[in-house]
Amino acid sequence: MKKVTGIITWIFIILLSIITVFPFIYMVLGGLMSYAETTSIPPTIIPHHFHFENYVQVFHQAPFLKYFWNTLLTSSIDTVCVLITSLFAAFALTSLDFKGKKAIKILMISLLMVPSEAIIFTNYNTIAKWGLLNTYVGLFLPFTTSVFYIYYLNSYFQGIPRSIYQAAKISGANNWQYVWKILVPMSKPALTTVGLLSFIAGWNSFLWPLLVTNNDNMRLLNNGLANFASDGGAQTQLQLAAATLTVIPILIIYFIFRKQIIQGVTRDGLKG
Amino acid sequence: MKNKRRKNQWSAWWFLGPALLGIILFSVFPILRALVMSFQSGSLISMHWTGLSNYKYVIQDPYFAKALQNTALYAFTVVPIGMVISIAIAWNLFNRIKHSKFFEALFFMPYVTSTIAIGIVFRYIFNGQYGLLNYILRFFHLGTPNWLDNPSMNMITVIIFGVWLSLAFNIVILMSALRGIDPQHYTIAKMYGASDSEMFFRITLPQLVPTLAFLLTVNLINAFKVYTSIYALFNGQPGIAGSAMTAVYYIFNKFQVVGTPGVAMAATVLLFLVILVVSFLQNKLLNKVGRR
Repeated sequence: MKKVTGIITWIFIILLSIITVFPFIYMVLGGLMSYAETTSIPPTIIPHHFHFENYVQVFHQAPFLKYFWNTLLTSSIDTVCVLITSLFAAFALTSLDFKGKKAIKILMISLLMVPSEAIIFTNYNTIAKWGLLNTYVGLFLPFTTSVFYIYYLNSYFQGIPRSIYQAAKISGANNWQYVWKILVPMSKPALTTVGLLSFIAGWNSFLWPLLVTNNDNMRLLNNGLANFASDGGAQTQLQLAAATLTVIPILIIYFIFRKQIIQGVTRDGLKG
Repeated sequence: MKNKRRKNQWSAWWFLGPALLGIILFSVFPILRALVMSFQSGSLISMHWTGLSNYKYVIQDPYFAKALQNTALYAFTVVPIGMVISIAIAWNLFNRIKHSKFFEALFFMPYVTSTIAIGIVFRYIFNGQYGLLNYILRFFHLGTPNWLDNPSMNMITVIIFGVWLSLAFNIVILMSALRGIDPQHYTIAKMYGASDSEMFFRITLPQLVPTLAFLLTVNLINAFKVYTSIYALFNGQPGIAGSAMTAVYYIFNKFQVVGTPGVAMAATVLLFLVILVVSFLQNKLLNKVGRR
């Protein structure tokens, strides 16, 4: 009896992991098929012959290199800015006493409940007014701060004994030195998580860049990809190759840092 | 001492400054601005007051009703189905599988990858003629619906994709909650000869209630904001003939395509209220269940 349930469990888990992972595998394989193979009946699973030239054609048809560069640039700037602003703010909220601290904390917690879709359109308005449509600054500026990551780091910093801060002050360190020489080295895991999650969110962002860019040269990967899929006609194999290009960098990062990413999400799994 | 405190005050505002500036400009101001705009009409450059007319328009607009209806349908199917499947996976992984970390990493993949890219793959799999899904269905002599081109199938397709997308986050959160349950509970229960299902319903499930409540809230809020996955499945259209129109899609259309930001913001405020009411009711309901 125990053996039977064991086997059923394994079948269940394997079946569902196939359903989860298969689309990714199929995407990579489909990107290497010929057009005839992608539309054949019965469907082709493994291409007869790997058509790497699909990728050449994708780069030829749309400026994917430019999309890559745009995405890398904006997600990196977002990540660095978010790390710095959140680190400072979370430090102030944890270690320093000042008037209005409570009010700021309440403000942040209530902002956590507002869905980003509710403010994204008025942010578009601001960016348009400042003449920043179709610029890098317009793409990253609204995401240089994040209430969520401040909240996240704040809860992490609260786990660090206050006596460490006091000891640093007594030994003559100022706040600036404390942050960079003690707090940052001590909270590397939390900062890594914030950096990774922010970078992934930036890489996968879709609605915001769709709003603030309409110039092909300024598009980010996901918008370029969506556009490629609708304009490029029914060239399924090219669409799948382009999708693979978009997903692979993040999957590589994910498999290197999966422990930090999963831990980060479960520690305070809100995001979005 | 007093002097030191004052010094700290200045220092605190310096450290908070950059974040606060960003938050005020890009979180607080836009909320207030959205509220103001919902009472105004005209284009973005020249807006003027119109009182409640935007709200009247949105409430009477059959497309908005349809969008809300679709959004609610999506939320109330994807969330429970996704939760049940995730619980089944997490419990089995935790309880019976040795390499649970490996499988956990696999199940989490959809969470970190782009919905647009995966949507392209799903569009391919769902294709009515040469799609893999219909091939499998035909193989088992089941019906082969036209997932993408038949308007009455569109929401079902979106829901299937939505369930697939929702598993990743749920499983990872549930796994960490399951690992947090004191193993002594199980040891004792086993000593008294409890069966697997008894342990699940008597020990695991009650201990998971806070996690489930949290997941339910997050899932519901996310479900009410569904947008990108539909864009990906239908190539930038809200389904065939608008059959998969959802609330955020409606807002986007009114804002960007039609160019009536006032109407879009009124719809945004209404959607926000719906989300607030739903999460409030759900919390109340869970509190009642939890107290029992």
